[in-house]
Amino acid sequence: MTDPYFINFRSRVQQIQAAMAEENIDVYLGSRLRTLSWVSDVFCPWRSFVVIPSQGMPALFSFVIDAARIADETWMDPDHVFGFAPMGGQDQIEQIADYINDLARGKKIRVGIESGMSNYLPEGNLTHYEYEKYKSAIANSEFVNAHTIIDRLALIKDQGTINRFKKASRIVDIGHEAVFEALKDGGWKGMTETEVAGLAAHAMRKAGSEFEWSFTGGNEIASGYRTGYTGGACTPATRKELESGDPLMVDIHSMYRLGLGDHSHNYFIGRATDRQRWHADNFISIVEKTLETYKAGITPLDLAEQMMDFADQGGFADFMVPGFEHGIGMMGDEWRIGLNDGPFSYWTNPEHVYRENEVLICAMQYACPEEKIGFRYENPIVIHMDHCEALSKFKLSVDEIL
Amino acid sequence: MTSLVYLSDSWRDEVEKRLKSALSPQRMNFITSSMSNIYTGCPCGEDRFLFFAFEEGNFKAVSTGTGEPPEAEFKVTGDYEVFARISRSEMGSQKALMTGKLKLKGNMIKALKLASVADRINKVISTIDTRY
Repeated sequence: MTDPYFINFRSRVQQIQAAMAEENIDVYLGSRLRTLSWVSDVFCPWRSFVVIPSQGMPALFSFVIDAARIADETWMDPDHVFGFAPMGGQDQIEQIADYINDLARGKKIRVGIESGMSNYLPEGNLTHYEYEKYKSAIANSEFVNAHTIIDRLALIKDQGTINRFKKASRIVDIGHEAVFEALKDGGWKGMTETEVAGLAAHAMRKAGSEFEWSFTGGNEIASGYRTGYTGGACTPATRKELESGDPLMVDIHSMYRLGLGDHSHNYFIGRATDRQRWHADNFISIVEKTLETYKAGITPLDLAEQMMDFADQGGFADFMVPGFEHGIGMMGDEWRIGLNDGPFSYWTNPEHVYRENEVLICAMQYACPEEKIGFRYENPIVIHMDHCEALSKFKLSVDEIL
Repeated sequence: MTSLVYLSDSWRDEVEKRLKSALSPQRMNFITSSMSNIYTGCPCGEDRFLFFAFEEGNFKAVSTGTGEPPEAEFKVTGDYEVFARISRSEMGSQKALMTGKLKLKGNMIKALKLASVADRINKVISTIDTRY
């Protein structure tokens, strides 16, 4: 039977090599986590590099303490996985420069590197120090910034990638179900945010999740006033105990074969006041409207304008953060949508035109700090020609937990 | 027994004899690999090499010479005096690598499996009465 999660990584490498040829790049030196995931199909938590020659198999280099595990898990053959260590000839600069120099065979070469900036801390762009050291160690070379090759190829998701995202979302749904079961019927009493995060993690791990992958503290849980930070969309769980009257935000993350689950659900602990329910109804209405609006051809700017108009008509625009998405791809590809072609470098281009089979996180933050209330929605969506497909199927509601 | 000149043919013969008698295939972890030590700054004025090949833990070849060494899975390059200190047990090979006195070329993942074996080889070599 065909593996529904199969991705043709050899074909990906060939596509990269074809793009390298078009740009006269002899060797691609990838250092971003997203590139490592997209090329090697293995999670590389330590500093790692992939060297892609103009033809043939790439080589992956990682910190020696993790290199054998990487060699075991990647599709690449073990002879193309190397560990670096602080030993003569074995540090990453000398080892990788030697490897590239061997590929160059004394000729002048153009080396594609990954440079830039990101809001996502583990992005992995080549550092200034690494650039200088590689540049001087790789004789007779020209370095060019080439990350767009990967960004362009990774933009439209293949079926194996989409299926991994779907599976990760099934797992997230199991996590949400487990949280609900634990909270209901007074189960929430005495429970802390960190405990909620752990309950979700336990259920998702049991269901096969590899990692609560978000660098924002894994599963993000916020209760009470912490749900309403102005413009806030980052809430690592704390030791705060849940209290009656609190809004509760449960934003959990799973990973299945580097495909990512990311869904946020919201509750009230105890009975909601009329005012709290008004806020919740506003939030649900704009999430529904946003999900109805996403489709191929629309841009982030179009969508934001339409949604902010909708919120204004409903009298709750003051509580909306005017952004409705963040990018997503295989592990390490988070934040920016599309290519680096917007008015502000390395931020999402607001005029990026969504295409069929792009995957993004439909994301919304509703916050009213004065009333200590807020809600977050996140859900991976697949863009189709005339609609979007939300991957988490957990119910869209703000329920009271009694 | 008179002392043997380091890296000479007679020294090489003695190295091979002692390694074969002291290190069983089991003690060699049944490894199949090869290693060239490349000596720079030799007293003779030329670079020299010491080459080992193992097959399933048996010593298949031990050779010394000048010029280009045989193809090997691992290449260790360093100053003659550094190798000499290792051969006299005055310095560990790990320390020499970690302080950058020796340079290793080859896959580190596989080299880690070889580290203890290399130490055993060096210990046997250090028992030979050698003139440097």
